[in-house]
Amino acid sequence: MTKLTLRGVSKAYGATQAVRRGDLEIAPGEVHVLIGSNGSGKSTLCKIVAGSVRPDAGAVLLDGEPVAVSGPQAARALGIGIFYQELSLAGQRTVAENICLTDLPRKAGLFVDRRALAERAQRYIALFEDVAGDDFAADAVVDRLRADQRQLVEIMKALATEAPVLIFDEPTSALDRAQVERFFAILRGLKQEGRSMIFISHRMDEIFAIGDRVTVIRDGETVATMALADTEPAAVIRLMVGEKDELAAAAPQPAAAVASGRAEPLLEVEGFTGAGFHDVSFAVARGEILGFGGLHGQGQSAVLRALFGALPHSAGSVRLAGRPLASRGPRETIRRGCAYVSGDRGRDGVITGRPILENVMPIHYLRNRLVLARPGALRDKARPALEALRTKFAGFGYPVSSLSGGNQQKIVIARWLIDRPSVLLLDDPTKGIDLSTKADLFALIRELAGEGLGIVLYSSEDAELLANADRILVFNGGRISRELVGDERTRYNLYHAAYEAA
Amino acid sequence: MASVSSPVHGAAPGRLKRLFERYPFLPALVILVVLLALNGVFAPNSLSFRALTGLLSTYLALMLLSVAQAYVVFASDIDLSVGAIASLVNVTIIVVMQQLGGGVPSVLLALAVGLAVGLACGLANGIVVAALRLQPIVATFATSIFFTGLALYVLPVAGTPAPAVFWRTYGGRLLGVPFVVYLALGLALVLYLLARSRLATQLLAVGDDAQAAYQSGLPVTLIRIKGYALCGLFAALAAFCITGDTASGDPLVGGKMTLLSVAAVVLGGCALSGGFGTAIGAVLGALIIGLINSLVFFVGTPSEWQNLVQGLAILVALMVGIMVSRRARA
Repeated sequence: MTKLTLRGVSKAYGATQAVRRGDLEIAPGEVHVLIGSNGSGKSTLCKIVAGSVRPDAGAVLLDGEPVAVSGPQAARALGIGIFYQELSLAGQRTVAENICLTDLPRKAGLFVDRRALAERAQRYIALFEDVAGDDFAADAVVDRLRADQRQLVEIMKALATEAPVLIFDEPTSALDRAQVERFFAILRGLKQEGRSMIFISHRMDEIFAIGDRVTVIRDGETVATMALADTEPAAVIRLMVGEKDELAAAAPQPAAAVASGRAEPLLEVEGFTGAGFHDVSFAVARGEILGFGGLHGQGQSAVLRALFGALPHSAGSVRLAGRPLASRGPRETIRRGCAYVSGDRGRDGVITGRPILENVMPIHYLRNRLVLARPGALRDKARPALEALRTKFAGFGYPVSSLSGGNQQKIVIARWLIDRPSVLLLDDPTKGIDLSTKADLFALIRELAGEGLGIVLYSSEDAELLANADRILVFNGGRISRELVGDERTRYNLYHAAYEAA
Repeated sequence: MASVSSPVHGAAPGRLKRLFERYPFLPALVILVVLLALNGVFAPNSLSFRALTGLLSTYLALMLLSVAQAYVVFASDIDLSVGAIASLVNVTIIVVMQQLGGGVPSVLLALAVGLAVGLACGLANGIVVAALRLQPIVATFATSIFFTGLALYVLPVAGTPAPAVFWRTYGGRLLGVPFVVYLALGLALVLYLLARSRLATQLLAVGDDAQAAYQSGLPVTLIRIKGYALCGLFAALAAFCITGDTASGDPLVGGKMTLLSVAAVVLGGCALSGGFGTAIGAVLGALIIGLINSLVFFVGTPSEWQNLVQGLAILVALMVGIMVSRRARA
């Protein structure tokens, strides 16, 4: 008998198909592991079950009955609780309030029953006694807690729903060993009660420690489900990789010679530490494309942003072309020849509503300390940069928002090409961009590397990374867990390192 | 046990920080005490019981309006129509009381009608903002014009007097104690209860992170509508006080109080971005504005300079409040 069944579920966000064909069967009293590479659709599938994302097609069955999970409220009524990867906590509220937020105990219909609230919260806080830390208390404000403590609160909040189906989307990413052990002990208890759990983790040892069965998802499709007792990490990773592995490995041979030719390091990073990354050291040579890989949010973006000066760092040294780069903010790093392109164009890139010309020019202004603008002269400077990227646009005076996402990204990149930088930091630059633009972009990146730029590329799409990076550093939990050079750059090795498989 | 192991030097600032977290209105309270002292210095009479109850009866309306504003600000919304709602309720109850002869039953009926009008206005705001998803600032600005239009339709010209029984009660005494003191105590009790209501916690959770609240299974739209409804009710109560204080109907009386209520909410330590604050803070903020006005008067500022000095004083109060709380929470 199955507790929860997903049949042929699909979900698209605009042009990107997050889930193509999701099938899932969860039995009562089991911990069911979902595994898949970046963007394979694990989180979307979980959110569909939890009601916070509505599927385009497919059926959700609970106890064999088709149900409509129309929203998080409906999911709760159906007995589905979820731990959100990005957490769903109210930062200014206390731990106790957050644990009980979904169903505040009431008194006289109108008021919060403070005593019942404290009692209920205490039940779940007690589960993590001794491992939550000294300053963890029911009346502590969530924003003041450490990352691991906040994650514990989200776990307690999910447990407090007392739902028969519980979803944990990467609940252990910030937890330490003792906390994970305690959490697993709780999960085993819940298993005894016959509750069903979906569990996502990026640590292979955890998956094999707690999971009963595993379902592998690749490119939004369910590939296989099997008992974990009958398999081994390497087999699971091979399923995640699929048959494309040899292909992906064969493709990325292009200009590795460029890097090996000149070994002179351009950007040297030593013991770089900050929020979300720890003790990161690497060097980029002129002409080299260094890839950052691994699962989402393992510190890759944070390192790039901190290098650029957009985020603070607490320790470590950075040298650019032999001179220390004491980044006091992006203004200084830009003047030193550091370029940063983010995949989040809305936040970091385009100046919406302003003309294309203004969107190409800000870096030129800053680096040359321009005060007055002469549109004619600026156009002459902007044109070659845009042509190098084969940008399609009607005229410099049109608002940047009239362009497609891919062309907007080209505008953002063109910004950096007018005055050549020496280091180009690419933070998942192809997010939401069509295939032909991607091809243009990577051709240009390779060309820039050929001209002697040092390039750091973080991409959440593993195929891109494997095809374009000369060397790949795999991040896990804010640290570099492995370096992949030459023939080691295969999908299998990438996932193996990302999942920290033994 | 935790206190034993924590370093000694970190304990005192930590306690202060927690104090500010739990009572975000503490800076406002400090400013209030300073202003009271200043008032006492420049006009010792102003600290007499009589003068203070006078202050209370004048500013009770702004206090209630600020409370109204606070509940929507909790959910990171804003209501620029509170003043207009107060005006509409003011003229509505005046007209109802006048039409029905001005006896005690007519007053009670008028108050019931006034509450219903305030609630209806609040619900309208809530539906426009939360259900139709319009921008709160612009949408409530538009409804404020609409409500003002209604008020002008109900009573085109200011001046219709309130029945004597109404304003005599408001300005009078009960068992030797000024009536407004009872009102203030009643308000304190209501705020105490509301602070413990599920709705207050839910509003703050929505203001904290609406997406997280939605994903947690909270009915976000409904909660925001309830916030606006509560706001409308308190705006109606404010209108009762305005009517008691001015003893007449004026279709434009509340308009200038709208932004004062926003200022009071911020002075009281609420975050305009939502998720943080207390209703009692809004009350203190309103009192600060009242005390600044009376201080400007007592100091003997020439009339043409009064606005300028008031504006500066409110700015200073805002800065002090923000500096104190920032230092305490850092």
